[in-house]
Amino acid sequence: MKGGHVIDPKNRIDTVMDIAITGNKISQVARNIPGSNAKKVIDVKGLYVTPGIIDMHVHVFNGTELDAYIANGLTSLPPDGFTFRAGVTTVVDAGSSGWRNFRLFKKQTIDRSQTRVLALLNIVGNGMTSRFEEQDVTDMNPAQTANMIKKLFPDIIVGIKAAHFWGDFTQVDRAVEAGKLANVPVMVDFGEHDPPNSIEDLFMKHLRPGDIFTHTFSYGPANRETVVDENGKVKPFVFDAQKRGIIFDVGHGGGAFSWRQAVPSMQQGFRPNVISTDLHSESMNGGMKDLSNVMSKFLNMGMSLQDVILRTTWNPATVIKRPELGNLSVGSEADIAVFSVRKGDFGFVDIRRTKIKGTQKLETEMTIRAGKIVWDLNGISMPLWDTEVIKK
Amino acid sequence: MYVLPALFLLGVSFFARAQEFDLLIKNGRVIDPKNKIDATLDVAVANGRIAKVDKSIQSARAKKVIDASGLLVVPGLIDIHTHVFVGDRAGKFADGIYSLSPDDFTFKSGVTTVVDAGTSGWRNFPAFKTQVIDKSQTRILSFLNIAGNGMSGDPDQQDMNDMDAKMTALTVQQNPDIIVGIKIGHFEGPEWTPFDKALEAAKKSNIPLFVECHLPQFSLEDQLNKMRAGDIITHSFEKVSERMPVVDDEGHVRPFVLEAQKRGVLFDVGHGGAGFWFSQAIPAFKQGLIPNSFGSDLHRFSMNSGMKSMLNIMSKYLNMGMTIEDVILRATWNAAKSIKRDDLGNLGEGMAADIAVLNILNGDFGFIDSGGNKIKGNRKLEAELTIRAGRIVWDLNGLSAQEWKN
Repeated sequence: MKGGHVIDPKNRIDTVMDIAITGNKISQVARNIPGSNAKKVIDVKGLYVTPGIIDMHVHVFNGTELDAYIANGLTSLPPDGFTFRAGVTTVVDAGSSGWRNFRLFKKQTIDRSQTRVLALLNIVGNGMTSRFEEQDVTDMNPAQTANMIKKLFPDIIVGIKAAHFWGDFTQVDRAVEAGKLANVPVMVDFGEHDPPNSIEDLFMKHLRPGDIFTHTFSYGPANRETVVDENGKVKPFVFDAQKRGIIFDVGHGGGAFSWRQAVPSMQQGFRPNVISTDLHSESMNGGMKDLSNVMSKFLNMGMSLQDVILRTTWNPATVIKRPELGNLSVGSEADIAVFSVRKGDFGFVDIRRTKIKGTQKLETEMTIRAGKIVWDLNGISMPLWDTEVIKK
Repeated sequence: MYVLPALFLLGVSFFARAQEFDLLIKNGRVIDPKNKIDATLDVAVANGRIAKVDKSIQSARAKKVIDASGLLVVPGLIDIHTHVFVGDRAGKFADGIYSLSPDDFTFKSGVTTVVDAGTSGWRNFPAFKTQVIDKSQTRILSFLNIAGNGMSGDPDQQDMNDMDAKMTALTVQQNPDIIVGIKIGHFEGPEWTPFDKALEAAKKSNIPLFVECHLPQFSLEDQLNKMRAGDIITHSFEKVSERMPVVDDEGHVRPFVLEAQKRGVLFDVGHGGAGFWFSQAIPAFKQGLIPNSFGSDLHRFSMNSGMKSMLNIMSKYLNMGMTIEDVILRATWNAAKSIKRDDLGNLGEGMAADIAVLNILNGDFGFIDSGGNKIKGNRKLEAELTIRAGRIVWDLNGLSAQEWKN
């Protein structure tokens, strides 16, 4: 891939470079690799070349249990139809399954997808079968959860999820207990407490550095304490929490991203560590759309492209302790995204149907997964059709 | 002091009564081929239906107003070739992971109606209906496969004993609002029995026959000769060993193919992963073999390929030289007529409010075919807004959203 502007935050590369792929691995990143050294040369001049994007928050345990919610249900989506067209090569399923149904998830989705699917295991044994089952404290078993991660699937399960709980801190504490046993981070969706629990307590007393708070910019003060107060000020302890090592994840979703939270946060210097989608059937056609759209929102709020790429490649790779991902080091699996930045008049919608205007939008020109071209928007890797006729 | 509240009340009641429309799309270029409309007009929606298409409908009459200046406003697009009987069976189209959930792909490309191309047969149509049709926001219609278990792979698809014209026709009779045709495809034997049975079921039901691929032992000429006016052949521009291509080695459309088109046989694109080659489609287009509809053949192996979406296929034809009016005609009214659904593919008053608002992008684009070859182009269609039964189900740039104020 010749002539592209390579952004590889891990390796501090932000300049025009060529990238060579041999088999399924990155074999060289350098200036002016001769075209004659390669079987196929793709001209990516004027485009940005980045590590394959990581979407750290999705729901992809799709299935046909019609009464189910996210676990084995229709709300979850098969990933491949959403990932590659957005430059994404790795997704992390955010607790759709728990230890009881993870094997089904693996067989049904993980093993059959081209996208690399990693997972956070729900602290609830049945995962997100329904809001009702998710309340069952007797089904929150730290030992079983940790054992499944450590002993059975350490390559796939990268953390633990606690979500949708109506009670006190019991669920979070169980998840953290499991997280300690398995030495993995915990992601918390803290959204359905009535009245809301204190997020300051969550950040300072219950979570560990490296644990993840998702749906950072949601606005539903009746059920979830917000990071920005009613006067538009980021609460001081939020900065302290981030300093302490709490990871803030976007997790846009169908109900968890409001401009009234995101814009003041960006203006006051509170930036999410990780930008992610919370992809599921209720977010796919709404304001969320796909990860490149969510990334574009941050671009238009003033975040630099380099920073946006950092928060969708190397940052999530570090958070889930998978340093072999999210970078273009020689020897890494060749997961690569190629973007153009479209200029024009665009609008970006949040979950409350309010919008901001913007002038830039990321578009995925090409996606490569393990050395294979899995998306090519404009055919930059392909010859013109009449060459086929001429050859004949 | 007493006057003010009274005025206020008057204002409110006037306002409420005046807002007879739920949605008003103003100033778009409305292209509605059925109704021979191509003009800057406003489209009003009420109760999920098209209420009025007219010049300058007053904004005050609508609860929500969308400015579509500079955009095309067209009937919701119809994709007559998809595989959407999604399920959890590995390696299968019917109830399997090779099929896709329509809502994941339709609205973002302006499509509001899909026809499933025979993924189910009469035996598993009920499961298809419960599992997908009833659970989707996209309107799903179906060609019923003559094979009882639809596209369940081999050996099921080769079982001539499970191709029952009577049961197939009965299932059509029970689901007249959903099943719009009979499909034959994926039969590898030399016997014509499956084809004839499918035709028999289609005749019994008075609906078209939809001829798909993978019929390697039937010659193209024989297939076309057996088809009636109004029957549909798909994968029209494929170049695979299993079927004679419509364009010969010298680049000429075979005369019997043009004859069939003249006789009223309909040619659907059916792009898919292997069904569309520029080396077929471009000479065919130049010589007058024009597709009647732009079926995408959406499934797991076409979604990320050169196909991408029906809108992308429409853009290919736009760049091959088809006029935008003609592209819209074939993506809406022609598709609707081919499945005998006059209630779809148009913006007539009283019709379900399925609407696509499209943008034509200008720039340098490339479009890929199934052979890994491309054409360049300078125009590309993009779906700005999609409305299904009066509800906004896709809004790319927030045309319908309020601007956020700090």
